[in-house]
Amino acid sequence: MKQFVLYLFIVFFVLSCKKKTVEVKVYSESDRWGFESPSHFPSPDYQFVNNEQTRLRFELGRYLFYDTLLSSDQTVSCSSCHAQAHAFADHNVKFSKGVGGVLGHRNAPALSNLAWYPNFMWDGGVNHLEVQPLAPLTNPLEMNETMSNVVSKLNASSFYKEKFKSAYGIDEITDQKFLQALAQFTSMLISSNTKYDQYLTGTTTFTDKETRGLQLFRDNCAHCHKEPLLTDFSFRNSGVETTIVDIGRELITQDPNDKGKFKVPSLRNIDLTYPYMHDGRFFTLTQVVDFYSDGIQQSATVDPTLGDGFHFTSQEKLDLIAFLKTLTDYYLIGNPDFSEPKR
Amino acid sequence: MKTIILKFIAVAVVLVSVMTSCNKDKTEDPETPSPTPTVVEKGTVTIDLSHKWGFSNETDFVLGIDLIHPMKHDTLNFTKLKYYISNVKLKKADGTWFTQTESYHLIDLSEVSSLAITLNDVPVGDYTDVYFTMGVDSTRNVSGAQAGALATSNGMFWSWNSGYIMLKAEGTSINSTSGSFAFHLGGFSGVNNIVTEKYVQFAGNNLTVTKNHTSSAFLQVNPGWLWHSAPSVSVLNTVHMPGTDAKTMADGFFTNNSITLDHIVE
Repeated sequence: MKQFVLYLFIVFFVLSCKKKTVEVKVYSESDRWGFESPSHFPSPDYQFVNNEQTRLRFELGRYLFYDTLLSSDQTVSCSSCHAQAHAFADHNVKFSKGVGGVLGHRNAPALSNLAWYPNFMWDGGVNHLEVQPLAPLTNPLEMNETMSNVVSKLNASSFYKEKFKSAYGIDEITDQKFLQALAQFTSMLISSNTKYDQYLTGTTTFTDKETRGLQLFRDNCAHCHKEPLLTDFSFRNSGVETTIVDIGRELITQDPNDKGKFKVPSLRNIDLTYPYMHDGRFFTLTQVVDFYSDGIQQSATVDPTLGDGFHFTSQEKLDLIAFLKTLTDYYLIGNPDFSEPKR
Repeated sequence: MKTIILKFIAVAVVLVSVMTSCNKDKTEDPETPSPTPTVVEKGTVTIDLSHKWGFSNETDFVLGIDLIHPMKHDTLNFTKLKYYISNVKLKKADGTWFTQTESYHLIDLSEVSSLAITLNDVPVGDYTDVYFTMGVDSTRNVSGAQAGALATSNGMFWSWNSGYIMLKAEGTSINSTSGSFAFHLGGFSGVNNIVTEKYVQFAGNNLTVTKNHTSSAFLQVNPGWLWHSAPSVSVLNTVHMPGTDAKTMADGFFTNNSITLDHIVE
């Protein structure tokens, strides 16, 4: 019996040691892997056409997402401004730093549930998940690179030559496969397991405060922040300023009626993704709720549903914030599959 | 050893024929005689593009030289001219069509090899017209990352406002206030749509395709038509997105008699 206990102890000891060693996981073509739409979500937009999902392709996309090789001076990766700990938003800065430390013009959005998005960017200028990376890659204020350079840098890397060969069976890396590999990774960043989701699916209950907050949210905010993705993907002027500095959607449509309109952002993980609004002007949820309560600025294109604000009481503001804090997805920010991979 | 292999093959042949015959019984009417496979004889067609300038295509269009526009009188020195021709089809005298699959061609004046479009496996016969699309059809503008001529690494896709730059014309001009011009024309939906179907008739000549032989249609392309309705570069020297200006310039070149038959070689 004593010997048995000793053996057991040794086994546990060995196991615990094993966990601490850094392992590079090796995946093979046969690994089961696939996108599953959460039962309480609508059907997704991105369908993996000509880009069948495999674990190897996802892992390749993950390497690319975390690789600074993609930027012109190899200092900026996708993850530089889309950090897992911040629900794939930037590290709580107003504007993100691109190559050479230059600042962008709009707050880097958090990334989740991208497979459901009909278009991308604050102004909706990008029409497909696979071509979204072109925007930050080629923007001089961000990664400042050309696609042909990205392709030649990848082809000069024996690491990526081997990865693309095993994932896509190609000897020469193309921008198409590069973009598709990134989509394999970004499409899997699904946020569907917040306390709010668990409440929706009946696996948890809300506190009284959270319940009141949800009701207030449904009465006032869900019109634009449509459940369960918490955005209706429309473009609206939320009335942050009287004189429009950034024309937003108008840049894409050339329609003056779109001046100052931006895509309604999803509120998922909002507690982690401050500062808020397209220009990062608010740093706390209190500021945001105060703004929608009594701070709406009027202009020609301001969204009519906002009126002159919702005039929340101070208790209502606290309730609303309690609800907003149920939107944090610890499964997303803690999922080791989405973290920086070992090389 | 040899006999074992032969036996094995014999058994395999019997098995396969039994299996396929079973299948056939279910789907085919036994009364119908099996059609004899007709071998369609095929040849090759090339569409060769030479670029011209002037009212009656009297001068060659060449990059890096001063060209005077016959209507606007602007002096234009092109450093770049690239555009898409897609979905190439040949119309046969009997009314049938040959349609090239995955038919996207980036014509680039700095790449001689891009100036001839090759159509392989064209059934033999007499063809009366070539049809094609100027630009890139709307589907490919909204379907994610594409390959070949449509690869984003060709620099013909807008990163911030998704869609193909269907024509790029850049260069310098003494008539431009900035000294240069850059026209990036695109747009695939609504009033901004510039994608245009076009055709060139082989007239009375017909393009005859014969077995295992290459027949060529030599076409002349005149980029001067870009300014058919658009103003002088002294007024407009830059277009960088879909819209009215892109539409006016593209329409001038895409819809008018800008591409004509020169001659046919069979």
